Order: sequence, then structure tokens, then C-alpha cells
Amino acid sequence: MFPCYSGIEAIFFHTMKFLIILVVIGLLGPTPFTFGTDRSEDRPTILKFVTMKPDQAKAWEEAIGRFERAYPSIQIEREIAPASSTAYHDLLTQKLKNRDPSMDLFLMDVIWPAEFAAAGWALPIDKQFPPSEQAKFLPGPIQAGIYQGHIYGMPSRIDSGMLYYRIDLLEKYGFTPPQTWGELVVQAKTIVEGEKDSQPGLRGYSGQFKQYEGLVCNMLEFVGSHNGTLTSEDGNRSTLASPQSIQAVTFVREQMINQLATPAVLTYQEPESLAVFVQGKAVFHRNWPYAWGIVDDPRYSKVVGNVGVGPLPHFSKGRKVSALGGWLYGISTFSPHPEEAWKFIQFMTSADIQKYFAVKGSLAPSRIALYRDREVLETNPQYESFLPVFQTATPRPRTPAYPIISNILQRYFSRVLAFPDTDILKEAQIADQQINRYLALVHPNPS
Amino acid sequence: MTRIKSDEPTGWFMIFPALAFVGTLILYPAVNSFTLSLHRIYMGLPALGEPFVGIDNYLHLLQDPVARQAFGVTFGFVILSTILEIILGLGIALVIHEHFKGRGWVRAAVLVPWAIPTVVASQMWRFIFNDQYGLANLVLFGDQVSLYVPWLAYPGYAFLAIVFADVWKTASFAGLLILAGLQVIPEDCYDAARIDGANAWQRFWHVTLPLLKPALLTALLFRTIDAFRVFDLVFVMTQGGPGDATQVIQFYGYKTLFTEGQVGYGTSISMAVFATIFILSLFYIRTVGSSLLKRETI
Repeated sequence: MFPCYSGIEAIFFHTMKFLIILVVIGLLGPTPFTFGTDRSEDRPTILKFVTMKPDQAKAWEEAIGRFERAYPSIQIEREIAPASSTAYHDLLTQKLKNRDPSMDLFLMDVIWPAEFAAAGWALPIDKQFPPSEQAKFLPGPIQAGIYQGHIYGMPSRIDSGMLYYRIDLLEKYGFTPPQTWGELVVQAKTIVEGEKDSQPGLRGYSGQFKQYEGLVCNMLEFVGSHNGTLTSEDGNRSTLASPQSIQAVTFVREQMINQLATPAVLTYQEPESLAVFVQGKAVFHRNWPYAWGIVDDPRYSKVVGNVGVGPLPHFSKGRKVSALGGWLYGISTFSPHPEEAWKFIQFMTSADIQKYFAVKGSLAPSRIALYRDREVLETNPQYESFLPVFQTATPRPRTPAYPIISNILQRYFSRVLAFPDTDILKEAQIADQQINRYLALVHPNPS
Repeated sequence: MTRIKSDEPTGWFMIFPALAFVGTLILYPAVNSFTLSLHRIYMGLPALGEPFVGIDNYLHLLQDPVARQAFGVTFGFVILSTILEIILGLGIALVIHEHFKGRGWVRAAVLVPWAIPTVVASQMWRFIFNDQYGLANLVLFGDQVSLYVPWLAYPGYAFLAIVFADVWKTASFAGLLILAGLQVIPEDCYDAARIDGANAWQRFWHVTLPLLKPALLTALLFRTIDAFRVFDLVFVMTQGGPGDATQVIQFYGYKTLFTEGQVGYGTSISMAVFATIFILSLFYIRTVGSSLLKRETI
């Protein structure tokens, strides 16, 4: 015999032995458990909730715990996705494309329901969530959940862009919170100039201008408050090359990026831009409502007590515009437990739980009535000024092709802001063309 | 005859595990990907169906200005980072080839960057290039905070930052490959050169370098292919920004395929990357192979 033959034989037997052990483990392993719990009525239904890494982990745990105590026959198993909305979207769409029946529930960013509905991934909830119930919620997130006359999502929290400002600095120079972008520029320049010697690192403005989804929100606010839009009223055409839109983008490039905010904001998402503000290094700051919880917490913030918050300014010829953000609960089409999933959603969006999230976690509720609730307003006095902004928040384009369109928008805005020599009009026309190509794919149009 | 007959089934039986492995894990996905790249598929728009479009996706790829730019950025990255890594790697190899006290420690230390997972290293470099608390600014400007530069905000600097991070991370790997080449150069060659009166520089230029050519080419091959696949550095440090200045082709493919859900087009980008790397490898293997042959005839 060849010596190598016995070697192969040995490897073969070892492999077989290993396989046999595996099979035996596989057969024996689960049996003790299945024996013990084979009383199907008593076994709780396990709902798998794929969620994003939460801002307020403790509050979520407590809320889910309350649900499980109220419905002992249902257990929630959470799969935690990354904190980035885009990464969470990638994970969900992978599971949904593979018709993964193990996922029952998820959250949808306000920009997703059109896509999830068109693709047949989210279950319509018209019956459980009729217009009479919808009327109790803020209009923006409800609209975000509707696609072609059916509703697919139930609003959890609402977000919209807010202006945070340093009351102490504004008062020192005799200013009141700016109503227009022009006023904001003058105030910021005066304050930065005046504080040059005592605070050399002070900047006028900090926001989110990195090439990512948040850039679209920030730019939507500038463009919209100059009476511009990203897409036409009917959603059929991209309108980036309109004069209002071009002028707003030019303003951002010249006044914000290259002066007040410094190009550093081209690398900022929410946490980085907020860090600058809570370190006391910016006069004005644009962020979502959650930032209040951090700005007002002495563990993270050096400016506690010196900060005010209110609606974003507008251009003198425009109106106030704030980008709509927020999350909706959705049920997977492939879930074997849609009824139990609905119970969970109903519980989590109830007034009680939303109130709990508002009081404990500064997450703005989507139910209108809570903005008159004494306990909510006591812990969140800023909500008084938030409500009118929430009621008029502007959505991003609502179309199933949004992920593609968002990438084109991000590319366009990031290019013209980061390369100071680019011709904004020309870039806008190119982006319009590209976006129109994809909008044309979607027929009939969402309304 | 009978011998062959009886051996053949056994042979097939023997290689069956390997064939099954290659077939299911390499061949099937590759063929499947290629088929996908011939269809137009939008994940979020199933109403459009999944029509067969032939080579349309590839034709679109040729005309796509974003893809062209991404290829440009990738080639720039590959050329710059590979050249720097080979030069630095050569330096590292020459140093750790010498005999000195604590050489073992130095050799181990040199490999530390290479052993760190790229995602972790990328996060570290993102912090280093931060405009507020980044080490790069502290080292360059000390406490003159007003001079601090947001490195990743400027297209040119952001690109260089990514090259820098890659060179830091993989120069030692190139060094390791080159060190292996150094160790097979016989001492006699140097002795002969010394007797002929060659100084250190001449010994390096006329003895070390020519004999090191195969090792250098191998290092070049590995580094080029690896650099072409760059993804994680960009994903963590810049997300392709600002203004696509650091968007490499792999990241563009990822965004098209996974974020935008353009399965057909995204796959055709991956296939194009695959083809490019394949051609590059063929080219290198020919060059490296021929140089090895030449060496044997000397």
C-alpha cells in the first residue's frame, strides 16, 4: 500500500467521526427541551422585532417589558441593527427580499413606506388603523405611512429639524433668536468677531453636511425655506435647477460652509455636529428634537441653561421649513403572526408608552393630545415651540425609488459644497436628469 | 484497461469533496452573479419585473460618469498606495533583515498594524484626522486650535488620508514578503561584490535589487489586487465623501446593490471589478513567471 493511502483513510475516518458526532448532537440536543414544553397552548408566541440601535436603550427595555407583562402570551425578541438609518435599511431589505418569515416587525424611517409598500414587504393596516384613529396623530408621519391610498405604518416618534441657539451669547450682543437666514448670518458673524479673543475656536453654525442621508434633510430645509423644492408638486420631476433652489444652495456654500460653519461640517453627522455645540463651540446648531436631552444634560453638555430651541429660520422671501423625520412601526408581509404584531404596535404607540418615552427619553410623541399633557410639558417645556414645527414638517420625496434618488441628491449637494469651483446650475441639471430617469420608472405616481 | 476502469470512480470519489466545495461556494455564485448582471432588477419595484436586458447594464456602466469617477479614484488609490507600500516595505525589510539586538521585537512590532482588523484601524484613522480632537492636528499644530484642519472635509486631503491609512496598515505586509526574498540571496554574492570593491550603495543597487526582483513583483501583485478591493477604509472613514472624492468602485457597487437595490446593475459593477482584477493578475503572473524563469537560466 502507498503510505499516503492510509493518510487519506485516516482523514476520511476522522471526518466521518466528526460528522457523526455533529449529527448525534443535532438529534439529541433539542430533544430535552421539546419534551418539556410540548403544550402548544401555553407556549408564548415569539415576535421578532428587528430594530435599530436605540438612542434610549433603557426606556425601550422598560417599554417592551411592560408589554410582555400585559400580554404574557407574547414574547418580544429583538434583533438590534446598527444605529445608521442606511445600514438598518440595508439589513431590512435583505431580509424582506429573502421573504424571511422569522422577522415579524420593524421600524420604518419616514422615507421608506413607499418603497416597502410598492415592493409588497409591509402589510397594509387600513382595517386596524382607520382614518378616525389616524386623526389623533400628527399629519406628517401619517402621510409618510400612506402609499396609493393605503396605510402601512403607525407613527412612533416624530422628528423635524430645529434651531438650537446660545441664549447667553445672543443676549450679550442684544439679539433675539433669528427669524431669517440673513439675520442668523449677521448675528453669528457679530458674535464670532466679538468673541475672537476670548473664544478663538467659536463657530457661527454647526449642522450635518457629510455625504449621507442627513445632508438631504439639511439641504431640503435651506431650499424649501427659499420657496424651492426637491421635486415638483406631483412628484414627477426633479426641480433642483430652479432659481430658488440654486440660490439657496449658493447661499449654503458661500455663507455656511465657507464661513460660519467652516468646511469641517462636511464630515459631520448628528453626533459630531452636536459635540461641537455642547462643547460651547458654536453659536447656532441645527439638529433633531432628541438633541435637547443631551444639550440639557450636564454630563455631556457645557452649555446647560444657556440654550434655546425653536423653528429654523427662513429666507426673507420664503417660509419656515423643517425636514420631517421619524419612525413608523410596520408589520412584515411574511410574518406568521400579524395579529400579535399589531397588538405590540398598538401598545407601543399608545398614549401611555409615548408619554413614557417623552418623559424618560425626550422622544417627541406622534400623538397630538400629548402636547397638551401637563406631565409631558413639565419635563419637556421645549415641546410648546416644537408643536407648530411638527405640524408643518416637510417630507422628503415620497417614492419607492427614494434610496436611489437620495444617493443622487447626496452626490449633488456634497459635490457643490465640497468643490467650491463647481458650477451649481450645471451640476443641478445633471442631477435633475438622473433623478427624472428614475422617477419615470415609477408609474403611477405616489400621491 | 481494467486498472484504469477501477481507479477512475475512486478518483472521482476522492476529489468529490473538493469539487463540491468549489462548485457550491465559488462556481455557482459566480455564474449566478453573472446571470443577475444580465437582468434589470429593482428590489423596491417588483412591479417592473426582472427583464433580461443582455449587456445593457455593462453598456450603461461604460457611460456612467459616477462609475468612471469611481474607477479613477480606485486606480489612483491603487497606484499611489502600492508604490508607497513597496518603497516603505523595502525599507522595513532591509532594516529587519539586519542583525541587531532586539530584532525579534522589532519584527513583531512591525507587523502590528497588519494584524489589526481594517475596520478598527479605519475608525482609529477617522479619529486621528478629526478636526476637533484628532491626533494629526495635535502633532502638527499643538494647542493652536484655530489652525486645526478638518482633513476629511477637503477632497484632496480626504483621498490622501485614505492612502495614508492603507500604507500604514499594509506596508509591513509588503515588507514581510520582501524580507523572504532578501533571505534567499546568498551571502557569497555580497562577498564577491565586496572583494570587487563595491560600496554599500553599489551592493544594494547591483546585487540586492536585481536578485530581489521576484519578491518585489510578488509583493506588488498581492498589494495591487488587495488595494483594488479597498472598501472598509472608505466605508468607515468617509462614506465616499466629500462629493464622491473618495468613492472607490467597490463602495459604489455596494451602494448600488444594497442601498439602492439595483441588483442587476450593482452586480455588473462587481463583475467589472472581478474582470479588472482577473486581467491584472494574469498580467502580473506572466511578468512574475517570466522573471522567475529568467532567474533560473542565469
